[in-house]
Amino acid sequence: MRKYYLLRLLAVLLGFTLIASACGDDEGSDEGAAEQSDDSSSDSGDSEDVVEATQDGSLLATIQARGELNCGVSGTAVAFSETQSDGSQVGFDADYCRAVAAAILGDAEAVNFVALSAADRFTAVQTGEVDLLMRNTTWTQSRDSEIGMDFGPTTYFDGQQFMGRGADGFSNASDIENLDGLTVCTNSGTTTEKNVADAADAAGVSVTLGGPFEDFNQVMDAFQDGTCDVVTTDGSGLVGQKANNEPNDWVIFPATPISKEPLGPTYGQNDSQFADVVNWTVYATIIADEYGVTSANVDDAVADPASAEIGRLLGGEGELQSGMGLAADAFYQVIKQVGNYDEIYARNLNPVGLERAGSANAGWLDGGLIYAPPAR
Amino acid sequence: MTDHITIDQTPALPPEKPRLTAGSWVRQNLFSSVRSGILTVIFGVFSFFAFKVLVNTMFENPDRDWLAVKTNLRLYAAFAYPITQFVRVWVALGLVLALLGLSLGIWRSASAVAARTIASRLIASGLTVLAGTLLVGPPVLRDEAGEPVYDETFEALRGTWRSGLEQRTGWFLLAFALVAAGVALWFGLGSRRNTLTVPTTLVVWIASGVVIGSTWVVRYGHYGLDPEGVPVGDPDSLVAMSTRMPWTVMWLLVAVAYQLGRFVSRWNSSRLLITAAWFLAPFIAFWVILRDPAIDYGHVWSTDLPMFLGFGVLGGLLLFLLADPKIGELGRFIAFLLVVVAALTFVSGFYGWFSMLQKARISFCLLALFALMANNFAGDRQTRLRFAGAWVLLIGIAHYFITLMNSPSTLELRADSFLGGFLFTMFAALFGLMFSFPLGVLLALARTSTLPIFRLLATWFIEFVRGVPFITVLFFFDIMLPLFLPAGMEAPDMAATVLGLVLFSSAYLAENVRGGLQSVRRGQYEAADAIGLTGAQRTSLIVLPQALRVSIPPLVGQAITTYKETSLFAIIGVFDFLRVANYVVPNQSTPVNFIGHKLEGLIFVSFVYWLGSITMSKYSQNLESKMGVGER
Repeated sequence: MRKYYLLRLLAVLLGFTLIASACGDDEGSDEGAAEQSDDSSSDSGDSEDVVEATQDGSLLATIQARGELNCGVSGTAVAFSETQSDGSQVGFDADYCRAVAAAILGDAEAVNFVALSAADRFTAVQTGEVDLLMRNTTWTQSRDSEIGMDFGPTTYFDGQQFMGRGADGFSNASDIENLDGLTVCTNSGTTTEKNVADAADAAGVSVTLGGPFEDFNQVMDAFQDGTCDVVTTDGSGLVGQKANNEPNDWVIFPATPISKEPLGPTYGQNDSQFADVVNWTVYATIIADEYGVTSANVDDAVADPASAEIGRLLGGEGELQSGMGLAADAFYQVIKQVGNYDEIYARNLNPVGLERAGSANAGWLDGGLIYAPPAR
Repeated sequence: MTDHITIDQTPALPPEKPRLTAGSWVRQNLFSSVRSGILTVIFGVFSFFAFKVLVNTMFENPDRDWLAVKTNLRLYAAFAYPITQFVRVWVALGLVLALLGLSLGIWRSASAVAARTIASRLIASGLTVLAGTLLVGPPVLRDEAGEPVYDETFEALRGTWRSGLEQRTGWFLLAFALVAAGVALWFGLGSRRNTLTVPTTLVVWIASGVVIGSTWVVRYGHYGLDPEGVPVGDPDSLVAMSTRMPWTVMWLLVAVAYQLGRFVSRWNSSRLLITAAWFLAPFIAFWVILRDPAIDYGHVWSTDLPMFLGFGVLGGLLLFLLADPKIGELGRFIAFLLVVVAALTFVSGFYGWFSMLQKARISFCLLALFALMANNFAGDRQTRLRFAGAWVLLIGIAHYFITLMNSPSTLELRADSFLGGFLFTMFAALFGLMFSFPLGVLLALARTSTLPIFRLLATWFIEFVRGVPFITVLFFFDIMLPLFLPAGMEAPDMAATVLGLVLFSSAYLAENVRGGLQSVRRGQYEAADAIGLTGAQRTSLIVLPQALRVSIPPLVGQAITTYKETSLFAIIGVFDFLRVANYVVPNQSTPVNFIGHKLEGLIFVSFVYWLGSITMSKYSQNLESKMGVGER
């Protein structure tokens, strides 16, 4: 009886050995790899292609095969990427995602927006969750080198500014010299705080730093109850706060910010084909703005180009887009469906009070920094 | 003829409370002495002003724009879940509500509300609405665009009190309707109002029916805004995007499920089945309904099904043999061997000696676990067959869900996780509570066990987890866990962090249960031993029921904490309910400027959190009075 049992048990165990070896042999190591990508991508059906494509080629081919651009945005940045009540995204950054999709796929709506928190944004690019970041990310040396990101042309030159009350004698023409002896408030322990001290030193004025403040809402409360004479943070943030507390007599100054916060597209490093496409999409909107080509008159511009450069850019004779792996009319689609730089800026940033004229975001011909290399 | 001895089984009625007139009640309770009179006056004045400030903060305040909440209800509900697939959200909610209805029907609650209480509550709420309507300040003057008009000192201009009262007809009508309903109930029932009681479930169902029914008349939320910023109830939006039809269906679904629950409650196995369904429900709702996996059937036929058959049939056969009472030491040896094999599958994968599907590794682990338990199920043929059957069922479910998890979702990614808003809060809380409760009880038993290894492990685990803040646990599971897993194994963020929540709250629950365990007297253990119960029977039949009864208040407290702690997931990038109110809506500038309108969202969110918490709290109070906690 006992022996009989042993035999049966042995047979079953032998069966298991067979299963184990079958699991190993059939599927082999590549199945293990597929399993890995499956597991990691349980939220996204596309990552498997991403993993494969980044191994053998540019992200560009992957996006074209997928038919959709995965674009990482903030989803909570006023005028840059706001989540609408129906879940869609609007804003300056969101429009640049649409522009890139129009260039690669010919359809500005072929974008899958992924809302990312500040902490997750670079990981999302590295794991292939998103192809591109348009998430008001400042271009810095460490991010460019250590974190393994590459940065495209700056689309918005942000910078630290001050906001004071008109009743206290501040105007748009005020300068850091007017801050002598006043209390300036901002988030404690941030680079913004350090920038104020540096700028005050350089200008030879003495300012008192208020605080400590944990977050900017506390700073604004202190500003409103008069504890702080002046508050400071990035210009785009100040404009949001000003709009938030309407009506008021607050003014933002100086016209030239005291720090540099260049914001633009960010993508994984060492993929120059994809990088070229993103960069030249941005440049195309800038060049179209230079020539006054808008979404309204782009059809006329194609029929009768104002110059050879704009003709080439819009897909006419001698166009360079085909060599980049794009359709010849890729940038025509960008201008037609999304608009030129000025249109994108005016549509999204003017409503919250960010004006282009006189700022660093004016075109280079108007004394600003928005400049594109020639398309030839 | 044998004598029939009849024993009066009707329980003694509780002593009747004296019914006081309103005047004597006030005298006895509020002005019983000079000091209590002073306190009553001070507190009354304080509450009056607190109420006045509250209503004036919320309504007729130029800084408040409730449109911010109304137009963003969809973001609050499910963040950016794709519109075309929104019906899935309703199906998932329907699954949870159907189970709720079934459970309510099976475990019929005896709690009931006296008609007298219902009537007085209706009158009280009507009077509160009336007071609020009268206390809100005069209306803010607005221009054609609906924007408040300000004077030169930036103070909003207001109309007259009279015009305000004229505009608030709807609120007066609501107050009147509530008071009238209460008065009608009070006098309509006459003296029966003191004896007539209505089951609490029915009261809640009817009340929610009134609210849901009113959505057919009043438009509370708008689906969206047109480019000019005017709210539109999208005429050609899907049914799933509206609220009244789906909510009406949900409401009826609960009633149908309740009746079905009452019907099936006569079967003995219904309770077991519904419990099992509750444990499977979040998995099904998450991985099948909401995630909509694209299953590769070629892979299912070539790999998944053969693997299931192999493990199911051979494993079942092996376990059937191992559960033989005659097997003796050989069984232990084979179980030990299986444990070694299961460990080796992970070790070999870690060092890359021999790669194998993760599913096979997990299956070997489960098999080893079952083999270790086999001698507890040793018995006749029937028992052994059941044991083997349980294995086949479990491995089937496990393989099914692993296949689902490995299949890519057909949904578009909209954020770090496709779950967001209240949908995420609900899922994290459901998963968290359902799995941390059993784990917490097991940990508590292990900590009080006489076996040193269990006691030490449980103590270390509990003390370690309790010594670490929850945020740290979240970061650990979000960022560090992937580094600890063997090569080729990754856990999705959401699953990893909910696992963190389960472990964290189970440690706290374990301590609550342990408190209960300590309250069970030594005599109870001895009595159980004396009547010949085994250790497992003693624990499950004598000790745990008493321990859990005592620990109801802290256990429910922990459940409420877990429910609210889901909001901390915002810091690891999930767009949860609170984050939508805190960051998403206050940053919308188009088509209507909602910048800075944070308080409206926060009030709304806190109200919803409060609704969930008060429900749990009320339920625990009922449970306590039913179980007689604190009385015996």
